[in-house]
Amino acid sequence: MGDFNIFHHMPWSSTYSIYFFTIGISAALFFMSTLSWYREEFKTLRSSAFYLSFVLLAVSGLLLIGDLSKPARFLNIMNPAYLNFTSPLAWGGLNLLSFGAVSVAYFFMMRKNDEGLSRKLAVLGSLLALGLPIYTGFDLTVHQNRPVWNTPLMPILFVALSLVSGAAVASFLAGTNEKLLVMLRRFMLWSAGAVAAMLISLLGTTAYGGTGQELTFMFMTSGALGGIFIGVGILLGTAAPILLLLAPFGRQQGGVMLAALLLLVGGMALRYSILVGGQIVQTYF
Amino acid sequence: MSELRLSSIETRGVPGKRRYAMVIDLRRCIGCDGCMTACKAEFDVPVGVFRTWVPYKVVGIYPNVRKHFMPRLCNHCDDPPCVRACPVGATYKVEDGGFVLQHYDRCIGCKACMASCPYNARFMLPKSRTYTDITSVVDKCTFCHHRVTQGLAPACVVTCIGRARIFGDLNDPASEVARLVSTLPTQVLRPEEGTKPHVFYIGLDRNNSEFGRAVYNPLDVLEQDRQAFNKNHQG
Ligand code: SF4
Ligand code: SF4
Repeated sequence: MGDFNIFHHMPWSSTYSIYFFTIGISAALFFMSTLSWYREEFKTLRSSAFYLSFVLLAVSGLLLIGDLSKPARFLNIMNPAYLNFTSPLAWGGLNLLSFGAVSVAYFFMMRKNDEGLSRKLAVLGSLLALGLPIYTGFDLTVHQNRPVWNTPLMPILFVALSLVSGAAVASFLAGTNEKLLVMLRRFMLWSAGAVAAMLISLLGTTAYGGTGQELTFMFMTSGALGGIFIGVGILLGTAAPILLLLAPFGRQQGGVMLAALLLLVGGMALRYSILVGGQIVQTYF
Repeated sequence: MSELRLSSIETRGVPGKRRYAMVIDLRRCIGCDGCMTACKAEFDVPVGVFRTWVPYKVVGIYPNVRKHFMPRLCNHCDDPPCVRACPVGATYKVEDGGFVLQHYDRCIGCKACMASCPYNARFMLPKSRTYTDITSVVDKCTFCHHRVTQGLAPACVVTCIGRARIFGDLNDPASEVARLVSTLPTQVLRPEEGTKPHVFYIGLDRNNSEFGRAVYNPLDVLEQDRQAFNKNHQG
């Protein structure tokens, strides 16, 4: 309704997309640290990936709290008398807290060199870490009125995005460890492939949807948002690094790192454009 | 009223429960904005945000043009997505009456309810206010719960000069709203969202109430207004 006299704005601003980005990387890095107990190649990542995961978890928590209009009330989300389990945010809050608690316990067990307990906590933490991108996906999916968000793909897309970005960051931590780089290259390739496949079906269902979807598709594929989504997110940040990783140069350390950098830029652009894309049309209603 | 009920929260047609609704007769609305003003006065609604608002659209081709007014407010949905989205139960539905209300002291300001409302009915209150100390939490229309529970009609209904707004209990077959909804063709906004809105429009043209093609080419002058508005009202 272009000529109506009241304006609306988007409830969820770009802070949320940065949160999606950092929490996704934090979750995937924890998973890499867990892998180190089971796969020799990942051993060098055990502490570095975990520490970075923990720092990013703290940053994510602060971003989330800072975005509340009543930050001091964030404790309400832990109040059992208030918790509303039909909201994915409530599950997400509990997931974040328990992930934080397990991370702290894992830190102490690693310091004590208690291998048995560390392994158990690592597995438990990984399961909770998996919950983080899943819940962020559900956060969007449940809004039936928002085109692009309201698709069962969202939680899976966020898991794949988390793996891509996490593996990309891990490749910077890997240094010259060749075996590890081989594994991380595979991680990036497969998860970026999954992201690409999901983006294609997302674009298809959006373009062929109802009025809201159709308009959202238009916004996401043209103008400034189109540049971010298609240009940076899909072409530069997903397609280009996949091709790069498949090329001979993509098997060398420099190639893996360049691809990792592009994937990180792409991962941020995709999260941002999906978050904003789902809200832009409704501001006209 | 033997509608298929999908969620246990719904109260329409449930014996012994009231289900308040509003009928808005667009044929009678003259766009005087009296309802917006009455609402602002009733609730000290801050500048830039509205519990009820009267958007308009100029429709038709010259010389056959008219201004299409469409008063808007929270639909007090029977299956409200805002209630299920709130992580701390700060927004809730009153079972008897169907009011969707806010616990201001609980709201953490996560804006999940704003994202989940298909009607843009919710807004964030500013950080400071002159007369009211409820700040930085989400607010919206209450169907004038405080008046209705004392036997009064909502402020917008009382003030409407064209008598375009009619309020009452839809579960009471003798009420005016029940009669209007049963005997006249009515429409609700975005019924496909499954929210079961309880604001019914008489004379609504869905060609004008949907996302218009105008989204493609927002008028330049409106775009400037919009940018100025957004600059002053960051969410
Ligand atoms: S119109 Fe929006 S705010 Fe009102 S009850 Fe429905 S979903 Fe909630
Ligand atoms: S902004 Fe407040 S009322 Fe809305 S979902 Fe968050 S806590 Fe609930």
